[in-house]
Amino acid sequence: MAILEAQNVTREYRMSAETIRALSGISVAIEPGEFVAILGTSGSGKSTLLNLFGGLDRPTAGEILFEGKSLRPLTSTEMSRYRLRSVGMIFQTFNLIPTMTARENVELALAFAGLGRSERRRRALELLDQVGLSNRAGHLPSELSGGEQQRVSIARAIANNPRILLADEPTGNLDSHRADEIMKLLDDMRRRDGRTIILVTHDRELANQYADRIIRLKDGSTIE
Amino acid sequence: MNFTDIISLALRNLRQARLRTSLTVIGVIVGVAAIVTMVSFGLGLQNNILKDAFSRIDFFTSITVFGPGADAIMSMRDGGEASNGQRNQDTASSESRPVLDDKAIEELRKLDGVRYVYPNFSFESFVRFEGRTRRTGISGAPTDVEYNPRFRDFIAGRHIAGADAPEVVITERFMTRMRTAGSARRSQRRGPGDGPFQTLPEKTEAERKRLAEEVIGKTLTILTLPSGPESTESSASVFGVPLLDLPVQSEEAGDDGQFEGADDGLLSQLERHNYTIVGVLKAQEGVNLNIGSGGAIFIPMEHAGRFRAANRPPLERLGEMLAGDIGYQSAEVRVTDLARVETIKDQIKKMGFNFWNIGNQIEEIKRVFLIINASLALIGGIALLVASFGISNTMIMSIRERTREIGVMKAIGGSDSEIMRIFFVEASLIGLTGGVLGVLGGWGIDRIANLLANRWITQQAGQAIRQVEFFSIPWYLSGGAILFAVLVSLVAAVYPAMSAARVDPIKALRYE
Ligand SMILES: Nc1ncnc2c1ncn2[C@@H]1O[C@H](COP(=O)(O)OP(=O)(O)O)[C@@H](O)[C@H]1O
Ligand SMILES: [Mg+2]
Repeated sequence: MAILEAQNVTREYRMSAETIRALSGISVAIEPGEFVAILGTSGSGKSTLLNLFGGLDRPTAGEILFEGKSLRPLTSTEMSRYRLRSVGMIFQTFNLIPTMTARENVELALAFAGLGRSERRRRALELLDQVGLSNRAGHLPSELSGGEQQRVSIARAIANNPRILLADEPTGNLDSHRADEIMKLLDDMRRRDGRTIILVTHDRELANQYADRIIRLKDGSTIE
Repeated sequence: MNFTDIISLALRNLRQARLRTSLTVIGVIVGVAAIVTMVSFGLGLQNNILKDAFSRIDFFTSITVFGPGADAIMSMRDGGEASNGQRNQDTASSESRPVLDDKAIEELRKLDGVRYVYPNFSFESFVRFEGRTRRTGISGAPTDVEYNPRFRDFIAGRHIAGADAPEVVITERFMTRMRTAGSARRSQRRGPGDGPFQTLPEKTEAERKRLAEEVIGKTLTILTLPSGPESTESSASVFGVPLLDLPVQSEEAGDDGQFEGADDGLLSQLERHNYTIVGVLKAQEGVNLNIGSGGAIFIPMEHAGRFRAANRPPLERLGEMLAGDIGYQSAEVRVTDLARVETIKDQIKKMGFNFWNIGNQIEEIKRVFLIINASLALIGGIALLVASFGISNTMIMSIRERTREIGVMKAIGGSDSEIMRIFFVEASLIGLTGGVLGVLGGWGIDRIANLLANRWITQQAGQAIRQVEFFSIPWYLSGGAILFAVLVSLVAAVYPAMSAARVDPIKALRYE
């Protein structure tokens, strides 16, 4: 059974004058442990699809299924539980909280899961160690390089041990060397921990190199 | 996310905008300090008026019962409406008001929970003491009562020995007044013994005791007009109208204080009644327990009764001639304990008498103060209301700045209610800090104002005066003010916190 599935998903953004259709009737299924790349030009609806998978957004029509169950009936609190436990998100701009150290950023995700203070601290350091940043735990994001920031955000994304990692152009702001490091790390996450990875990118080469499968988007529709 | 996490997140947010937070907190401090200062002033005022009354249960267990008076008796007899012109007493139904005679007194005595009942005999006359003559209020004192709070605190001596003993008990204030030569006139008009609220004489306890003991055994002379036939009534008008329950009468009755110059020839025309001073009642601070008794000196009940009868004003005599026996004007009913006062009041009402009890007055005073204090709180509350806009503004600014952060929190699993809670906690921390500091500030203002006020009073008086406490901050005021500040902050945070919860994470994270 697919771990994540989009069935006939349409997402429209209603503006004052017009309606923008970011996704029109998309159907894709992601199998557990797969590394899938979503490839498409800017504005093709990649982020929109990823946000729907990540439970940050809801489709205008169609269904998103997680482990075979629709996300539609979930209340907003249940949806936040889903984001907390089932998926981890990684963004192009890292989205770390600038006033918190690397460790505190990771701890925040653990705090939302209700972990106690000391347990949280221990686990955060462990996670930072996993992404090779144990010596940077006390640094603020502004004191870290782009690649390091992205690694912190990966540590945060896997903090509560989700089965799925959703990465929205995680290497978009990095040079090719750093980008490679991040991709290897994501690949590790899949190979070692068996997580499902969905990578949004417009970099065909990167997609070809790491992904088991590529889903191409154009104007909100899939092209095989 | 548990509560301590939320608090530390909120604190972190507040610390990040130190200046803005401080300014917002200052707004709350001003509001809370205003409330505390205002209300503490009102409460202080109330305290100063009521504290003595409350501390002395004897006030509350005394009920003054009034007879109907000649006019009411006549109008009842005529079948007309009795005039309800009685002062501020509970007014009994006007139809059939009984006469307050010995039979009625006996009935009152039989009520369950009544300790004793005695008719009040009070009148005014001139007395001579140590070669000086002063006009004063004289009351009858029962001598066969075991426990009588009025005659409990002797600074020197004892109570009158028996019903027919030619003995007199004087108050400390009367003694001081008799001995004040220079300001006699003034002190008689508004002497320290006249007003209902009094301060203690500025002497040491030992000094007061020594002075009081000095007068024990000395003779005091009550002067009256020679008792003639009833028809020589014109002369009785000298005595004014001895209204029992209005001791204030004495100050309006004219300035005839000093008789020092009176020659012996004139004095010899008067009847002189000698009494030995056997006791001096201690002056008490605050409300005078003997208000209503009209007495500054006390003689045996029977004597007072006779004096009064012989020296009634002509109008009263006329009333009696027309109405027949009108009974006593008033009587004091002493109740055994506070819990029974209300039931006894009800019974007295049923018997048809008008009566007065300080409890009613206290209720009235408290009601008035509730209104005063509420108004003062309202004025302070306006300052806090202004501060609440500051809180709203601060929160909205803070949320604007942290939109992205809120988006991140949502993306990594923060729920709407958790986000909302962070901002509510932030606001209540502002309220709590402002509240606590505001209470301290209000207290500080009170202390300074109190100091200045007392200094000013001392300057005005030209001598050392006991310090007066003008303000009162009971725990419920400080607690209430802090709670109110927190509450106002929470209300101010409702809109900002809700808009924080409504932040769309997608938009928040897209925004660069
Ligand atoms: N919140 C939004 N409001 C309005 N239009 C949006 C919003 N999000 C995305 N869009 C529009 O939907 C389309 C797809 O956007 P997006 O999924 O971000 O594309 P991609 O990530 O592939 O570049 C774009 O035309 C974009 O302008
Ligand atoms: Mg995108």
